[in-house]
Amino acid sequence: MRRLLTLLCVLICSGWALPAGADGLPAPARRIVTLDWGVAETLVALGAPPAGVPDIRGYADWVADPPLPAGTVNLGSRFEPNLELIRSLKPDLIILIPFQSGLEPLLRRIAPTLTLSVHQGVGQPYAAAQEATRTLGRLTGREAEAEALITRTETILSDSRARFAVAPPPPVLVSAVADAHHLWVFGQGSLYGDLLGRLGLRNGWTEPVSDWGFSAVGADRLAEAGDSTFVTLRPLPPDYETGLTQSPLWQALPFVQAGRVTVLPPVLMFGMLPSSARFATLLADALVPR
Amino acid sequence: MTLLPSALPRPALLCLLLFAATGGMSVVALQPLLADSRPLSALLLWQGAVPRLASALVCGYALGLSGALFQHILRNRLASPDTVGAAGGAQLALALTLLFAPGLLTGGRFFVAFAGSAAAVAAVLALSWRRRLDPMPLVLSGLVVTLYTGAVSAALILVNDGYLASLFLWGSGSLVQTDWSLPQALTPLVVVCTVLVWLLLRPLSLLDLGDEAARSLGVPLTLIRLAALTLAVTLSAAVVAKAGVLGFVGLAGPALAFVSGARTLRQSLLWSPLLATALLGLTDQSVAVAGRFVPDLLPTGAATAVFGAPLILMLVRTLRTDPARLTAPPPQTRHRLPTRHPGRWLLALGGLTLLLALTALSLGRGPDGWALAVGPDFTDLLPWRLPRVLAAAAAGLMLALAGTMLQRLTGNPLAGPEVLGVTSGAAMGMLISLYAFPAATGGFQTGFAALGALGVLLALLWLNRRDGGSTDRILLAGIAVGALFDALTSILTADGDPRAVALLNWTMGSTYRVEMPDALLTGGIALALAAVTPLCIRWLDLLPLGPEAARSLGLNLQAVRLRLLVLTAALSAAATLVIGPLSFIGLMAPHLARLPGLLSARTQLAGAALSGAGLMLAADWISRVAVFPFQIPAGLTATLIGAPLVLLLISRE
Repeated sequence: MRRLLTLLCVLICSGWALPAGADGLPAPARRIVTLDWGVAETLVALGAPPAGVPDIRGYADWVADPPLPAGTVNLGSRFEPNLELIRSLKPDLIILIPFQSGLEPLLRRIAPTLTLSVHQGVGQPYAAAQEATRTLGRLTGREAEAEALITRTETILSDSRARFAVAPPPPVLVSAVADAHHLWVFGQGSLYGDLLGRLGLRNGWTEPVSDWGFSAVGADRLAEAGDSTFVTLRPLPPDYETGLTQSPLWQALPFVQAGRVTVLPPVLMFGMLPSSARFATLLADALVPR
Repeated sequence: MTLLPSALPRPALLCLLLFAATGGMSVVALQPLLADSRPLSALLLWQGAVPRLASALVCGYALGLSGALFQHILRNRLASPDTVGAAGGAQLALALTLLFAPGLLTGGRFFVAFAGSAAAVAAVLALSWRRRLDPMPLVLSGLVVTLYTGAVSAALILVNDGYLASLFLWGSGSLVQTDWSLPQALTPLVVVCTVLVWLLLRPLSLLDLGDEAARSLGVPLTLIRLAALTLAVTLSAAVVAKAGVLGFVGLAGPALAFVSGARTLRQSLLWSPLLATALLGLTDQSVAVAGRFVPDLLPTGAATAVFGAPLILMLVRTLRTDPARLTAPPPQTRHRLPTRHPGRWLLALGGLTLLLALTALSLGRGPDGWALAVGPDFTDLLPWRLPRVLAAAAAGLMLALAGTMLQRLTGNPLAGPEVLGVTSGAAMGMLISLYAFPAATGGFQTGFAALGALGVLLALLWLNRRDGGSTDRILLAGIAVGALFDALTSILTADGDPRAVALLNWTMGSTYRVEMPDALLTGGIALALAAVTPLCIRWLDLLPLGPEAARSLGLNLQAVRLRLLVLTAALSAAATLVIGPLSFIGLMAPHLARLPGLLSARTQLAGAALSGAGLMLAADWISRVAVFPFQIPAGLTATLIGAPLVLLLISRE
């Protein structure tokens, strides 16, 4: 993990030190295509929205805010985006994330590519997202906007942190519900886990998780985090209302008994700074209302 | 089980043994909760762990009973909810409902599952009706229907990945419980079904006398069969609706009952459910214990599927003990006259294939809708479209050649590299290399795929060694390998990490990542292997005459078989790397060649090669344009097109 982190820093810093263009990337890029929603939300926030993004309906449901401008081209799946369509957009830069690196040889034939690693095996997605935002700012010629986005996000985080400091809540368990008996829980290394630390909160899930920072678990294991505040994110499956929350085991969980159950609007689990700010605000609004 | 001394395994004893093991394992599983005195632990015990055990037991009973019923009515030891399409049908119906009408699932989960299940079983029965419900075609139809429903579910997941991620979990059959709702819902159903089954015992056992005798005793045969089938479907659909897919339990119960000595219907109906109960209980409790040591969820269904493969292999051995009831005579192929103009037909097929290739290269969808690329556009798009077209055509051609050889070799019109498990073996090799050596290069993966195909091939040869290869046995070994592959995939995809969807794409046979060098390599291998096939034409002409005739005409059967199998494995492995383990091209293409009367080995090989290439070209093109801007893996599209045709063939032959 540490080695990967160092490697990432080296990669990003070396890119940072080089004059733009020397690494083969155009400066500033005018038409960007990204295959990742986290990069897409950042580009929108920087005022340089991407020309094409995969699965736009999915973006609307899982990222929600900031919305993609009308006219953004839907590139199909995030796993196998439509190459002929990307080509027809004539991008000057294609941005992807590590798990899509298998696509690189194909995409390089269309335009220079850049792989931004924010989540996979990084351990501190928030810091990585800040660095990635700087990189994106440099590539789009919007360094000032990038710094502003970083500062703005920091302000929102410290604002929320201050609100939590006034009335410190119990540890927070962030989850996504799969069905009546199963959830994904977010631990060390996930964006939510990282943000909880930065907001001065303890993560309710202390068990080991996958490299991606989350694990699929049976609902019976929620008892291990009974002292937490339970937070789950939309979109919820129909089984949440009719299955999970109806069960006696659920009813008996300490956080349910104490009424510490919160459902938040969607926040992308693999998001970047806009998602981070959104998560901090939504969480503070839910747990410590003004 | 044949390893046990033959005097020992009475069903009761085996049952006791399994239940004792289950008991021991549950003590280990429940121990931490029993030792803890906090009130929440008591709740976790009584609302979590104990209902889980109860669920495993009741699901096991239901599946075992369902399997025993299927086996008796269909007179087929390989029949079970998994092998007659019941589980697959339920799964697909639930996936479709989750996507298009999630509201229905709240109260109507069981009815959705039942409808899907019943439809799939009805389809399988209708398809094997004309062949008098022969065991082999019936199970093959069931298998194809199961693969088909699985393929459609996979296509849905690929296009809606975020929405159906939980389907991975459910499809792998987790028995985690948070209340008693599952045992409460299933127990009354199981009790009612059991009572009804025992009430039907006498008329059901009269089915053994044969239709004539039973009818003369005044037994309403159709009614009895229909009633028993309804009960079997109800039981398995209820389990799928409540717990997901718990593969092979319904096959294992009756199998264990049989090998431990249960011969009469009464014994089978008594012991099959009990043995299945103990088996699922033991599996589930072991999984629960193992789950403590890994961060991710271990689904029980994936574990049960792992023992499915050895189980089928074991059953294949029992086939010998009761040949009259279980082995079907080799299906007779319909008599056809050879065409008088094979050259014209081949020319027409070649022209059609060329036309398809041109269409795939020039016609596509873009941001402004349909577009025909001509002139400079055509040359611009060529580097994108040509590799796919070339690789798809080469893979189709290789599978078609492999299929033709296998059909002529085994004398079975239902043989094909997909059915024989050779392609599954290759894919399993790739899968293992992907997860065990994530940094491995393409060449390394290719090596693993070849090893996998070779492994399956060796298993086939081993099964083959004694009596020169009964076709049934080879086919069933293939089914077993396919099942093992399914199990591996569902274990690997259960935790829903993003690799799961990528993996799914890739095992479904996507031509998306094929680049020109790969395409040229595939094309080269195809040409090289195709160049070897003329050497086999004499063998392939003589083999369908039967072993005696072939031997008297001077063929060294063992040597010829070995060479043909090696060639087939090479063809299948090379094709699988491009289009994945499923496609049915290898099964279909030889039949397409026979339709116009291309019957001699030479013309059938040529005709099949051209049709195989053409079919795969069409599949790849449809994959690219059908759900634009999304794409479906070409192998999956080939399955979607191919499976119905295969089913048609099974019902016709």
